[in-house]
Amino acid sequence: MAMRWLSRLAAADAVPVFPVVGENGLAAAENLFLDPRLRPVPSPRHARVLLVLGETGQTLNRQLRRLHDQLSHPRATLWCDAVPDPDFGRATESSDTADAVVEAYRSMFAGAMDTEPDIHPNEPPNEWRGKGTNGQGGDGMMGGTPYGRPMAMTDDDLRDGLQLDAYSATFGPFLPAFPPGLALDITLQGDSIQAVSVSHPPFRQETDHSRTGSLRNLARLLRVLGVPALAARFIAAARKLEDGGTIDLDVLARAFDWSGAMHIIPSDLGSFGGEGRDVRSRVRAWLNIARGRQEPAPLGQPALSFVDLVKGLEWYEAVIVLNSFDNNALRNLCPVENTDDQTEEAPQ
Amino acid sequence: MPALIRILTMALIAGVFSAAILALSLKSTLPITEPQKVPFVGGGAPQTHAWQRYHVRFYSMTLLFISFEMEMMFMYPWAVVYVQEGIKAMVEMGMFLTILSIGILYGWREGVFKWQ
Amino acid sequence: MSMLACVILLLLLIFGTLFAAILDTAIPAWIAGQSGANPLTTPFRRCAQFLAVQRLTTERPDMLNWLLAPAAYLILAGIGLGVVPLSEGLVFIDLQTGLVLWGACEALTVVVVFLHGWSANAPFPLIGAYRYVAIGLPAMLVSMFVVIGVALPAQSLSVSAAVEAQRGLWNIVKQPLGLPLFMLLGLSLTLRGPFDYADPFDLAAGTSAEDSGPLRASWRFARLAMLVSFSTMAATLFLGGHHGPGLPGPLWLALKAAGVMTILVALGHVIARTTPSRMLTLLWVLFLPLSFLDLIIAGVESLP
Repeated sequence: MAMRWLSRLAAADAVPVFPVVGENGLAAAENLFLDPRLRPVPSPRHARVLLVLGETGQTLNRQLRRLHDQLSHPRATLWCDAVPDPDFGRATESSDTADAVVEAYRSMFAGAMDTEPDIHPNEPPNEWRGKGTNGQGGDGMMGGTPYGRPMAMTDDDLRDGLQLDAYSATFGPFLPAFPPGLALDITLQGDSIQAVSVSHPPFRQETDHSRTGSLRNLARLLRVLGVPALAARFIAAARKLEDGGTIDLDVLARAFDWSGAMHIIPSDLGSFGGEGRDVRSRVRAWLNIARGRQEPAPLGQPALSFVDLVKGLEWYEAVIVLNSFDNNALRNLCPVENTDDQTEEAPQ
Repeated sequence: MPALIRILTMALIAGVFSAAILALSLKSTLPITEPQKVPFVGGGAPQTHAWQRYHVRFYSMTLLFISFEMEMMFMYPWAVVYVQEGIKAMVEMGMFLTILSIGILYGWREGVFKWQ
Repeated sequence: MSMLACVILLLLLIFGTLFAAILDTAIPAWIAGQSGANPLTTPFRRCAQFLAVQRLTTERPDMLNWLLAPAAYLILAGIGLGVVPLSEGLVFIDLQTGLVLWGACEALTVVVVFLHGWSANAPFPLIGAYRYVAIGLPAMLVSMFVVIGVALPAQSLSVSAAVEAQRGLWNIVKQPLGLPLFMLLGLSLTLRGPFDYADPFDLAAGTSAEDSGPLRASWRFARLAMLVSFSTMAATLFLGGHHGPGLPGPLWLALKAAGVMTILVALGHVIARTTPSRMLTLLWVLFLPLSFLDLIIAGVESLP
């Protein structure tokens, strides 16, 4: 009885959606979340609906399926503007995505729709009892594969020569803080990036180099900087411009100043070398383009490679740098190696 | 010691409240499966545990923090007797603070407040 | 008497948390310029949604600490609220050293948030936890100097004496730097806005990244309760607490706390977050010397 009342109350809430943005899906996703009935969440654990917007491609299938299994029950998957995977989820038209999402969410709580089962079998990542009589895995205490996952091993540090543990993982193509599609093999020591390589470049988005594109780029950066409400305002302004309305850019610029976003970005962060090529100058350029005072210009020949740009930065700084490029610039910057997933380790 | 009992009472009330929120989840839900347990890194699967000998990049700042924490401990009783001791108390604490502030300056120059 | 105090405190806590949740929905909607969801019903619906879904775990978590961390956070908020005098002579936890207890609650919050991130055994929560410790510790230091500045004219470490010393003039006038610096701590204790290094977006919700279901309800309730507790303490130390003409003491306290809460929530949603090393430098090089200045002002002002 209480559970039913709880479910009814829950069904009236805004739907927590984890957006998986594919090719040309970013603008659609941002516009979609202006709807108050949906709210984007940064982690799949918080989400009820996994929404795929835009084509993610076959190479990332494994990652998408793994992501699907990480959602908590009750869960549903919806594919919008993408060919759905036959194993899970349903396709939906792009004109009524919000309605379909809300519909799926409510029917889960009303009991009309079942939650989606796992795609992967219910098996731990490594078998119990590796080599050795006690299942310790190998020779001595190290080596071999113990049950579950091993511990991280020590490695030299870039900055100060301590030998502490290095944590390596592929920080995935569907991380909300990264540009959609960007997958990086990162080795972290603490929270500083020691080594990075691009495992999958970001998806192509229809970049609009004019004012709306700059507004959207600024909104993305603001969301990373921790002011999502202001970011939503920028997106709403961008959509209004695209629909042919007029907006008051002075209000937006003033709000941007009050949030202190320009001042809190460290100077000389993500710099290509030389004057005016760091994060602050790129953000200033976006502001000027949005106000129509400047024409968009391409980035120019980068003096540093992508790896050199990000290596050695702390995690938050690296995320700011990654979000300070627009989509074209970032795609040009990323070396297009390792785009197939055969280099991924096989046992999960 | 009635104050201690009161503190424990408040702690108990808050604890019970929190436990009640969590206990509301003890209805029969679906069992948690292995693929659901993989830590979230955006689609990949991490190869090692997250628990590690983490490089705490601010460890040198914590040494400076300890010295200020000890100063704070001395300031507690100082605050109580300050008014009756008068200007002498202020000068003494001022000296203490100044010496420690030189520590902050030194640390700042040495880059202790950067992410090492 | 103590029963009355306890009841008033619990009412303050529950209604304050509800008010904070309403603010947390209404203010971002106003900033975003969207009509948004109805802020009066959203807290209940959101809570119901958290409670009605599955609670996940990770592969090898520290389950005990993971469940205890939100509970401990709520306990600290409750104890912090308990030392506040609600009216003349009406205090639930009547200690001669109430300010020290409050300082202990602040310090233990850092431990609790760290435990919350560490216990999930996942990369993002762990990074969030360690990063928060770096910022939470110096923020606490700033606040304790400011609180000692409040204790100087009161000649005592008890919160009732601090309120008594404001009978003539509130501390926000006598020690103008105090409340702004104390607000910084408020943002840090409740993991909001520019000090939200524990649950940020760039770490996919940080220490809450692996939370789901009722654990989220528990953590969020504890965060809002800590906001209530902190706002009440700020109102007590700097805005004269329960002093005020006409209305009964607890009502004045609630009104002042509501004002502080509104400012905190608004600041949290407007100001952007800088990088941890920059914030660390700012805290030690700018805000800590400002708190020394506040202490000097308080000292000069308290001398007869």
